[in-house]
Amino acid sequence: MSDHVQKPIVFEQDHAEPASVATSTLTFLFLAGLSCLAMMIGFTDLGAVKVWISLGIACVQGIILTVFFMDLRHADKLTWLTAMAAVFWTFLLFLFTLTDYLTRHYYAF
Amino acid sequence: MATNAPHEGESREPIVAHHFNNIRQQHASVRFGMWIFLVTEVLFFGGVLCAYAATRIWYPKEFEAGSTALNPFIASINTFLLLTSSFTITLAIRAAYKGQHTGLRLWLASTIVLGTVFLGFKAREYYGDYEEGLIPGPLKTQVDDVDTNGKPILREVSVFAVNLKHVLEHKGGKAKEISDKMTWNERDRTQIFFVFYYGMTGLHVLHMIVGIGLLIWQLLLAQLGFFKPTERFIYIEVMSLYWHFVDLVWIFLFPLLYMAGKHSMDGIF
Repeated sequence: MSDHVQKPIVFEQDHAEPASVATSTLTFLFLAGLSCLAMMIGFTDLGAVKVWISLGIACVQGIILTVFFMDLRHADKLTWLTAMAAVFWTFLLFLFTLTDYLTRHYYAF
Repeated sequence: MATNAPHEGESREPIVAHHFNNIRQQHASVRFGMWIFLVTEVLFFGGVLCAYAATRIWYPKEFEAGSTALNPFIASINTFLLLTSSFTITLAIRAAYKGQHTGLRLWLASTIVLGTVFLGFKAREYYGDYEEGLIPGPLKTQVDDVDTNGKPILREVSVFAVNLKHVLEHKGGKAKEISDKMTWNERDRTQIFFVFYYGMTGLHVLHMIVGIGLLIWQLLLAQLGFFKPTERFIYIEVMSLYWHFVDLVWIFLFPLLYMAGKHSMDGIF
């Protein structure tokens, strides 16, 4: 006789109620505030650093949007792995493409 | 006579599909399916953004001029419209979860309206760009110029370059300064910024249209009572993941396309 015990399926136990109205409202207000900041920076002449500050704000907004609005904070490990895989592959996409295209002028083609 | 037709508010479909053990497994699978789809979408837009990054690093002056010629005010309004629609769709999920069917229909309809207004503003913006002649194309014209020795010549340039010069000069201030420092070749090359602008915003608009179509479908289902079993809130939640992703794309398009140039607050009102 086998003494095999059925292991619980972990991801089925991950369950959370949808975000409360208060959490959604706070998330929205925070995102709107960051958008106001992005616009103020957009209308200011900050030179070369402007794009980096703007992208920094966009990244913070993206994290808030995915963690709270897309409810990643209550997601199971598989969903986290999927989201992180998207970030990782996008990083590789940029890394390999830009290291090629932006270093071509170092050689005499 | 007996009939097996569903009663009002009922659906023939069982809540848990036959290939799932229970509702939580089904919910987790449905969510996971959408997240996998969104990974492909991230890489799809990632490729376009990567091409944009490489080209912008090559031609910073042209991208600055192109962005300065755009209308940042409509884009700013659209940013808030999309953020608000992301908020209303989260309220729709909660309403479906709590079994508040009137609230569900209200918040779904609000999201549809906000998305449609976004598209309306976007159409107005495209029309403005069309009226200003900011459309890349092969049409050429001749302009008065001087050669390297200062001798007057007729130079063949693109119609786009002439239109860009007029738009930037009309805007005045920093926009005119940018235009004055540009050569005709640089004005010609600004077309590549507009290829990215129309390509990226066009893809975003396409995703918005698909999203609004799906929201209308869900509103119809809500009207027919499909969401009366509250376990079906998951379909609203999964749809919201797509809608939030479309918002996320816009959050990055806004600074990259509209805020890459020099804008002033003059003339807003």
